[in-house]
Amino acid sequence: MSEHMQYLEEKRKIDSYFDKGYQIVSIFENLSGTFVDFVTSHDAGEREIVELQLLTAEARKYIASKLIVAN
Amino acid sequence: MADLRINLAGIKSPNPFWLASAPPTNSGYQVQRAFDAGWGGAVWKTLGEPIINTTSRFAALSFNGQRVAGFNNIELITDRPLEVNLKEIYETKKRFPNHAIIASLMVEPKQEKWHEIVKRVEEVGVDGLELNFGCPHGMAERGMGAASGQVPELVEKQTYWVKEVAKTPVIVKLTPNITDITVTAEAAVQGGADAVSMINTINSLMGVDLDTWNTIPHVAGKGAHGGYCGPAVKPIALNMVGECARNPLINVPISGIGGISNWQDAVEFILMGATGVQVCTAAMHHGFSIVEDMIDGLNNYLDEKGITSIMDIVGKAVPKYSDWGDLDLNYKVVARINNDVCINCNKCHISCEDTSHQCIDMLKNEKGEPYLKVREEDCVGCNLCAIVCPVEGAINMVEMKQPLPSMTWNERQSSIARFKMDKVAK
Repeated sequence: MSEHMQYLEEKRKIDSYFDKGYQIVSIFENLSGTFVDFVTSHDAGEREIVELQLLTAEARKYIASKLIVAN
Repeated sequence: MADLRINLAGIKSPNPFWLASAPPTNSGYQVQRAFDAGWGGAVWKTLGEPIINTTSRFAALSFNGQRVAGFNNIELITDRPLEVNLKEIYETKKRFPNHAIIASLMVEPKQEKWHEIVKRVEEVGVDGLELNFGCPHGMAERGMGAASGQVPELVEKQTYWVKEVAKTPVIVKLTPNITDITVTAEAAVQGGADAVSMINTINSLMGVDLDTWNTIPHVAGKGAHGGYCGPAVKPIALNMVGECARNPLINVPISGIGGISNWQDAVEFILMGATGVQVCTAAMHHGFSIVEDMIDGLNNYLDEKGITSIMDIVGKAVPKYSDWGDLDLNYKVVARINNDVCINCNKCHISCEDTSHQCIDMLKNEKGEPYLKVREEDCVGCNLCAIVCPVEGAINMVEMKQPLPSMTWNERQSSIARFKMDKVAK
C-alpha cells in the first residue's frame, strides 16, 4: 500500500471516530508514531476508549489540523 | 536610473559595490584602478605589523567546467609597512574623495595596539574602519583574526577599545568559523560597533594531490588550512547575513560578503539585510571590470521594479526568513512534468526512485512511446526532480490548494499539548 493510501485509511478512521461522536482524550507520541485515544462522549452511556496509532506523517498533520479547526 | 548610493553607518559610497579586504586592495595602484572601473568603495587589505608570506598561496575548486567555484588562500595581511599603505590611502582618497575607503585593521588584542593603529590610520582620511576578526589562517595562530573573533568577550572588548578613540564608523568583520555568528555579532554591537560585515573565509583544505600526496596548495611539501571563499560559500554567507538581520539585538547595518559574483547575488544579500556588499573572488577571477555589469544590472533591476533607490530594498526579504517551526506544514507543492518539453532522459525518475519518494512512473502511451508522470498524491514536493532535470521548464513545482488550514509545527505542538499524556512507553 502506498503511503498516500495508508494516510487515506488513517484519515478515514479519524473522521469515522469524530463522526460517531468520539472525542480525543489523549495524544501520545513516541518512536512508533502518534497514539490517539478516543472516547465516546459522556452522554452515550458507558465510556469506550479506542486507541488509534497514526503511522503516516500526513495523518499526524491531519489530526492536529482537526484540533485547530475545532478550536 | 535608480539612485545606487548607499549610506552604511555613515559611510557613503556612490554604489553598493565595494572590494573586500584582500589581494585586490593591496595597493593604491589597484584601488585607484578599481575606482576608475566603477567600484564604489574598497576595504584596504588588512593593515597591521607587516607579515611574511609563503609561496604558493592560492588554490581553486573547479567543478564540472565551472572555474573557481570555490577559492582557497593562505595569504596573510599586508606585507608592507604601515607608512607605505597610509601614503597610498591618502593619495587615493585625495583623487577619489567621493569613494569609500575603509581600512581593515588587525593587531594583537591589546588596548594600546588598537589605539595606536586607529589614530594613525584615521589621520590620513579613511571613511571608516573594519576590524578583521575573521582571517582563519596564519594570523589566528598568533592570537589574531579568527582566533579572537571566535571569543565573544574578545570581540566586544577589542571593539570597545577601538571605539574609545575612533572618529570614523567602525565595522566589525566576523568569522564564519563559529557555531552561531549572531553571538559574536551581538558582542560586536555590545562593544559599540557601528556595523558588522560577514563573512570572512571558512577553514578549508582544497585537496590532496593523488600522486605526490601533497596538500593543495603546498609549500615545499607541507600544507596548512586556508580560508575558503567564492561562489560555493554564498549560501553560507547569505544565511549568516539573514540570521543577523532578523536578530533584534543586532541593530546595526550589515556589509554582506561571501561569493557575490554578479548583481543578482548582490540584490539577494541586500534583500536579506545587507546595506552594501563586498566582493573579492569574482574580481580576482575576472578583473575589476565586472563591476560595470553589476552596476548596469542593478540599475535595470531597480528600474524594472519601479524602485528609485537601492536603500529602499535593504532588508525587504528579512521578514520572510523565519524558523522551521514557523513554516506551514499544510502548504503543498507537487512536481508536474511537461511532456512537451521533457526529453525522457529519466534523470528525475532515477533520482526519485533511488533517493526520494518513488513517485515518478515511466509509462508508455498508446503509440508505445515512453513518457514520465508524477503520481501527485505520493509526491512530497521535495524539488529533487526539478533540481536534477537538465531541461528548463520540463518539471514545474505546482502549488496544490489544500482543504486544511495553515498549521506550523509550533501551532501543531500547541494544539495537541492539552491532550499530551505522560506515558513512558507504549
